[in-house]
Amino acid sequence: MASMTFIAFKMAYRSITRRKFRSALTTLGVIIGISTIVSLMTLGYGMHSQVKTTLNEMLGAGIIISSKSGGVNIPERVQSSIQQVPGVNQTVPVITTMTYIKNEPVMTIGINPEKASKLYHVKISKGRGMNQGEDDCAVFGETTAATLGIDINDTVMLSTQMGGVGKKFKVVGFLTAIGAGELKIGCFITLKAAQQLLNREGYVSDLLITLNDPSQGEYVENVLRNMFPNANVVRQEELMKQIDRIMNIINGVLVALGSVSLAVGGLGILNTVMMSVHERRREIGMLKAVGAERWHVLFLFLSEALIISLIGGAIGCGVGLGGVYLIQWFVSILGLKISVPLMIAPHVLIEGMLVALAIGLLAGVFPSWQASNVPPVEALRYE
Amino acid sequence: MSNIVEIDNVMKTYDLGEGIKVKVLRGVDLKIEKGEFVTIQGPSGSGKTTLLNVIGGLDKPTSGKIIIDGTDITPLNEKELARFRREKIGFIFQAYNLVPLLTALENVELPMFFAQKLSDKEIRERAVELLKLVGLEKRMNHKPTQLSGGEQQRVAIARALANEPAIILGDEPTGNIDRAMGQKVIRLIQDLNETLNQTFIVATHDPAVAKASKRALYIVDGKVVEKPPKEYVEAPTEKLTRERRQLLLAELGWLKTSLTYLKEKKTEMDPQRYRRTFLGYKMQLERIKRIIKKYHALESEKN
Repeated sequence: MASMTFIAFKMAYRSITRRKFRSALTTLGVIIGISTIVSLMTLGYGMHSQVKTTLNEMLGAGIIISSKSGGVNIPERVQSSIQQVPGVNQTVPVITTMTYIKNEPVMTIGINPEKASKLYHVKISKGRGMNQGEDDCAVFGETTAATLGIDINDTVMLSTQMGGVGKKFKVVGFLTAIGAGELKIGCFITLKAAQQLLNREGYVSDLLITLNDPSQGEYVENVLRNMFPNANVVRQEELMKQIDRIMNIINGVLVALGSVSLAVGGLGILNTVMMSVHERRREIGMLKAVGAERWHVLFLFLSEALIISLIGGAIGCGVGLGGVYLIQWFVSILGLKISVPLMIAPHVLIEGMLVALAIGLLAGVFPSWQASNVPPVEALRYE
Repeated sequence: MSNIVEIDNVMKTYDLGEGIKVKVLRGVDLKIEKGEFVTIQGPSGSGKTTLLNVIGGLDKPTSGKIIIDGTDITPLNEKELARFRREKIGFIFQAYNLVPLLTALENVELPMFFAQKLSDKEIRERAVELLKLVGLEKRMNHKPTQLSGGEQQRVAIARALANEPAIILGDEPTGNIDRAMGQKVIRLIQDLNETLNQTFIVATHDPAVAKASKRALYIVDGKVVEKPPKEYVEAPTEKLTRERRQLLLAELGWLKTSLTYLKEKKTEMDPQRYRRTFLGYKMQLERIKRIIKKYHALESEKN
């Protein structure tokens, strides 16, 4: 058996290399299919993890209470009553709003500085952090700062409307990136400064609540819901689940798209192996004449399909990953402000190889079966 | 002595569709003993190949009984026939039918891989032995395309011997090779027949093969007979018309001229290309010579 397998692969390999150009084209078909799938899935998973990390970084909180209208209309003082709920560790009032700096939208958070460091996992990369009461200072995410072209000690104008007149802030420090992509937080100011900017003193947009024990989340959520029937109470876990669901749909669509090109690759294999069977009918007859059974012949041609698909799969995985870099580069060339996440997930590569294997089997089975049906008398036919 | 082949009233009819049926074998009776070297002669289409097919279990007879080495093979199913072929039968084909992807050695090993009776090491050793037996130990690692016709046929004979078959069936084994090489193949078959007591049944047009055999049989009207019918001895299978002969001679002349021209240009040509072209012409020349010989037209060539 072992030697049979060996000789089958040897023959299949030589058959492939004998028709180099044809085999190369067929392999190319598989490469295109697999690389499309791998790059789309890598993108998909990249986006997924991007959203997840962003949420995790931004929402160190277990539960978020926000107003249903999305405005800044939760009274700041309710935090003392929330603090009474068993299981609640800390309540952090924040204002999340979009402001404009040099006519560019910047996601801005107003928060008390000493609480911010507990909630967000960030580091000062340049300059210093804000102190309590520095209501005219701002800290920027370093990428946002780079995009806006601002530096430490600059004075920037934050306004609530594009082109509107706002409030001046002094830039005191930069933070390592926080969040990612479109959910990137650009700017931190104090809560008080935010309230003044929006002219909503005593009110906040969200209350971020950390828990003593994550397992109490559902209980605390229910209590808070009863306390604030008019507000949105969202548990982070729930949010994650919803996002997962959406992401799975997006991934499914991407994979479906990739499958179309993969089907073309599969047809290529089908065609190549069918040609090979057609050209080698007499050889097949001869193999049967010297004692090969159906499965020997089937195995022989199936190996040919498998070798092509696995080589195509391996190269396709590589090209697919390269493709993600290519998309990144292309996006940057176009000057789009979309960051394309890159995350090489080993399971994507394994899936890519499995898909290649499946395609090889699927496309190889029919022509191999045809080959196994060639009658042995073909060996003695000369015309 | 025991009969290794017993054929009893075997018929084979091919259904060509649309109600057309061709009766190729019309009641063949044949007994062959172990260790015989039998040739079967007959014109093209007379059923020589069909007879070999049914003896070798490549095809099933329409009716009748075929007992090979004590086993009735007519009721065997596809899988059993495959097993029967690899254990009892060796094949030699006119077109050699070696696997072009495999070396001479690997081609000889192949039937043993299918049979799975020996270990890999034993298979290799036996294949080397067999290639030595046919005098090709120095060409073991050559692919079929790197071997001459005669050499390929000798590899095929080594392959046929691999699983120690009860019978080796040959279908025009000298049909594709030139006379000198053909003689070598015939001698090899004779030697194997004598030294190994290997049974051979060979379908052939080649009188030299028939002459070398112990028993020459003929197929006439779908039946096997011992005595040649008159017309076999008297005349070739087709009549050589005047026009056909002239055409052949013209082609022969042209080829000879081309060869002379090629030899003159030898120094200017890429040696590989020269060799290829030369061999091509040579092969065509041999082919035409063979045809002419077949038509008993050698004298006219000399003139």
